[in-house]
Amino acid sequence: MVRVMLRFSREIADRPITSQVILGQGAPVNILSAHMNQRGGEMLVEIPTENAERVIRAFREHGVTVDVRRLIEKDDDRCVDCGACISICPMDAFSFDDGYTVALDAERCNGITCGLCVDACPHRAIRLLG
Amino acid sequence: MKDLVESSGIQVAFDEVDVVTTGTFGAMCSSGAVVNLGHADPPIKIQRAWMNDVPIPHPGAAVDLYIGATIMSETRPFEYGGAHVIEDLIRGEEVELRAMSNGTDCYPRTRLETTLTKDDLNQFYLLNFRNGYQRYSCATNGRDETIYTYMGKLLPRFRNATYSGAGELNPLMNDPDFETIGVGTRIFLGGGQGYVMGEGTQHNPRSGFGTIMVRGDAKRMSPEFIRGASFTGYGTTLYVGLGIPIPILNEGIVEKVAIRDSEILTDVVDYGITRRDRGSVRTVSYGELKSGRIEIDDREVKVSPLSSLKKAHAICETLKEWIEDGAFYLTQHVERLPADTAYRPMRETEGPVFVESVLHEAVTCTEDEGIEDVARRLVELSANHVVVVDAEDRLRGIVTSWDITKSVANGGARLSDIIVRNVYTASLNEPLETASRSMAQHNISALPVVDSDGRVLGIVTSEDISRLLGGAGHG
Repeated sequence: MVRVMLRFSREIADRPITSQVILGQGAPVNILSAHMNQRGGEMLVEIPTENAERVIRAFREHGVTVDVRRLIEKDDDRCVDCGACISICPMDAFSFDDGYTVALDAERCNGITCGLCVDACPHRAIRLLG
Repeated sequence: MKDLVESSGIQVAFDEVDVVTTGTFGAMCSSGAVVNLGHADPPIKIQRAWMNDVPIPHPGAAVDLYIGATIMSETRPFEYGGAHVIEDLIRGEEVELRAMSNGTDCYPRTRLETTLTKDDLNQFYLLNFRNGYQRYSCATNGRDETIYTYMGKLLPRFRNATYSGAGELNPLMNDPDFETIGVGTRIFLGGGQGYVMGEGTQHNPRSGFGTIMVRGDAKRMSPEFIRGASFTGYGTTLYVGLGIPIPILNEGIVEKVAIRDSEILTDVVDYGITRRDRGSVRTVSYGELKSGRIEIDDREVKVSPLSSLKKAHAICETLKEWIEDGAFYLTQHVERLPADTAYRPMRETEGPVFVESVLHEAVTCTEDEGIEDVARRLVELSANHVVVVDAEDRLRGIVTSWDITKSVANGGARLSDIIVRNVYTASLNEPLETASRSMAQHNISALPVVDSDGRVLGIVTSEDISRLLGGAGHG
């Protein structure tokens, strides 16, 4: 699965773009969260890896800004590997590896739509992106 | 060592092992540093001081200061505090010092501003009153809202849990009868070497909550093992790396250091309860805690540590290397830690005041009543809140006189349209302090008081609280 953030500007906010892409590409797009109104908005979606390239291209052809950056950043210099982030995360994006190092699986993260971990980190090592 | 005892038995382990190293790295709030600044010219007897805007208590003579880990910056409270000043100094960074004084004949100076690094200080010693708790409670939250505590962020309705401490790696846990750890024991402290000064404050060995007081030269410490931290909504604290070698003097000690996480038990405590005695939700072992999942009320709850087990292991390893390289020598303590200290709560001359003592009857209505009837009742009884109940007196919502005024101004509405359904409540045996805090946090002026079945027993308002506090002479 590839997780991307779709940004819809005011000009295209009233068009049924997501349905058109899903139908046109015949690919399932899982909407994880959406914040939309007439002024535009953003939507966090998951696309099967094998369809990702053409689905992303299709969204872009419709004028949607597709952001495939990571949604969260962990500063490893600040992180002391305590694990405060692990139990707070509803998506299980954080876990311990065998040596009790905190590992981040960025693919699982819901990013700015969640953000529960950010103020739970005693070392301020987690930052939301974009 | 633990594996060796398990696989080969106590005798073999006793023959083969001389020293077991233990370690922990976690938040230890009762920590701080003593610094001596040297004298200024003209000299000052400091009465108030700040480092990077963090107020620094002045415990002694003219230029001795104590940087308390939990004291927060006046310009960046909750984010930067004494703990961060200590970390910055250890990193070799410059720290801004401001100081004020009345001025005396011998110390005429009244104001001082300068920048300092650790190299400019005569003494820079970590001096921690309470470190290395043998074990600690696991924290969770049964309330309906997220709470921010010194045990981290706790989601509502038992959705997560946190714990502290290193379990089987903890120093005191491996020497629970204080046979080897005592006054003068040389230890790993913050990446340097230090000493145990004695029992820590709140030392509670009878209940398995021993603590130690330690000191060490902070100039030789490393930011890898001393870190300032910020717990949102609580404040700042210091993460301290602490390691203690335990000499294997006899087979009895072998048996004790063989302790496993599965044998170390602690309570799961509901930090949503705002009383001193929070009781216990259940008992768990550190083995269960380290598995990442515990059961609360038949539900699986994610649990994670606030201490770093990775750093605890690193401390054990570093200490082992030091000992092997001859860079660290074990000491014999000059006095054992007390094993029978009593741990008492605070003596207070006045007991807490409970919601029960200011509770009064609530003006109530049912959902099907007309707004005019409800408005008339509020006027007749000169009240500001009407609690909406069902036929069994169960809480359905709340309406304020302001809600009614607003609906009239907007051309009228039905009562059911203006009822606030998400109501914060209080219980009879809740301290008034927490009810008052709840009102302030949610910016509301009254809380219906309900029993465990949601039946309305009355109401407590901010006016009741002001009146009580005013009457008691605290106003």
